Amino acid sequence: MVRRVFILGLDSLPPYVLYEGHDGGGFKYLRSIVEDSARYLLESCHPPITVPAWIVMFTGKTPGELGIYGFRHRRVGMFDYYIINSNYIKYPAIWDEAGKKGLWVGIYGVPPTYPPKPVHGFMVTDFTTPDPNRTYTFPPWLKRELENVSGPTIFDVTYRSEDKDSVARDIRRMINNHLTQVTYLLKRKKWDLFIYVEIGIDRVHHAFWKYFDKRHPRFIDHPEYSKVIPEVYRRIDEWFSSIHNNLLKDSIIIIASDHGVKPMIGAFTINQWLIDEGYLKLKVNTQELRPGTDLREDMIDWKHTIAWGWGGYYSRIFINLKGREKYGVVSREEYESIIHSLRRNIENIKGPKGDKWYNSVYRPHELYPEVRGDAPDLMVYLDDLNWRPAGTLGWQSRYLPENDRGPDDAMHDWMGVLSIYDPEGTIPRGDLGVMKIGNVRNVIEELLFGRK
Amino acid sequence: MDKDKVQISISKELYDKALKFIKEQGGFNSVEELVEFLLREVLTEEEHVELSKEDEEKIKERLRALGYI
Repeated sequence: MVRRVFILGLDSLPPYVLYEGHDGGGFKYLRSIVEDSARYLLESCHPPITVPAWIVMFTGKTPGELGIYGFRHRRVGMFDYYIINSNYIKYPAIWDEAGKKGLWVGIYGVPPTYPPKPVHGFMVTDFTTPDPNRTYTFPPWLKRELENVSGPTIFDVTYRSEDKDSVARDIRRMINNHLTQVTYLLKRKKWDLFIYVEIGIDRVHHAFWKYFDKRHPRFIDHPEYSKVIPEVYRRIDEWFSSIHNNLLKDSIIIIASDHGVKPMIGAFTINQWLIDEGYLKLKVNTQELRPGTDLREDMIDWKHTIAWGWGGYYSRIFINLKGREKYGVVSREEYESIIHSLRRNIENIKGPKGDKWYNSVYRPHELYPEVRGDAPDLMVYLDDLNWRPAGTLGWQSRYLPENDRGPDDAMHDWMGVLSIYDPEGTIPRGDLGVMKIGNVRNVIEELLFGRK
Repeated sequence: MDKDKVQISISKELYDKALKFIKEQGGFNSVEELVEFLLREVLTEEEHVELSKEDEEKIKERLRALGYI
């Protein structure tokens, strides 16, 4: 007989919170489940970002095989970028496989599932849904049904704001909206595999981490804001406790995250560094640019540019290669030596006080067995993800105490969580080491379809 | 009748099935609502890999605000 599997995906939840107990008392019930579970440190993918991490988990394919290296990509020779959506995912996910075998699946909030695809069951898309007026469910009429239950679906919040009271309110409202819908679906629909990813955890981490994590270099013990993260945890915990005892009693419970989180020490202006090092040349005077100016195609002196970069949680570097780029100047013969020297120079970038950084620089084929789609030339992590690369220009210093895109307290971290609980005790309990995110799909398959 | 509406005829059998569907699934108050909803969905369905320019811009703006890009 098929064992029902419920996956609670808590975006960016680190072991520090779920396993080490730094949860402000918020996850009492979940931690009691975790105590009786098989516990793995979940090693995220390259890059450890929501897209592609969840879809790596549920397809079992690497970002290279999927051709998904983040939310945005650029086509060969183009400067502008496009955003990926579910149409770009060419491999079946676990829910497709389960559906083929006749199991009923329920998918809620897994990035990137917009536009929704037919499944053997139902699907509600994620925060990459452009507008709640679009069709964001399968079957399409489910949207109306859910809106009758909860009001309009809330896909995301804007957390990069100084108005922290509004951010906290919006996050709570969004999570309540999701919990109402998920409860309804659990009660009313048929399912054997249910996956619910809650992005609100990631949002509350980014917005309030410096009020929560005492290790943060800018930690503030605030009478209100320091309570926001534990309160959000508690809301999820109480909800889970109530549904677990009613609706999920016999189900296998997986609690997973796609990556961890850590304090953001600051941002490093990667394009300004490329300018200073002579790799990037602009037609404009950077001193005259307003802080936070995006690098545009028409600003670049392409004849004298060797490379340019993108910021984000990691940096992607593109070489101005002749024959590939519109105004390419780097010959194929020069390409390897430029990659080599650029890599060495990035590895040697130091902190604001000359302190050593642990920078990692990879070529995509070093990370993946196959490199499809529109991959960058180099993938860069600064100081083991303690510093965020900023792609914008016009700053007085290479080192920014804050993010260039607005207030943000957190960076992603390599390790997330994966905890598996079987009320029938068929799964060993305890700390079982590290599991790579790409292997999680096999584990779910075994739980659903039996051991191979 | 609302002057923005027109009447259509469907088979009694389908109408009864639609009534049964509404009763079981919820979400619709009448067969008219169900028919209107389904036709709108079918006629505006997007089959392209790329989203519309408008939708893509909305997503870019949101991802920028979220700091992903």
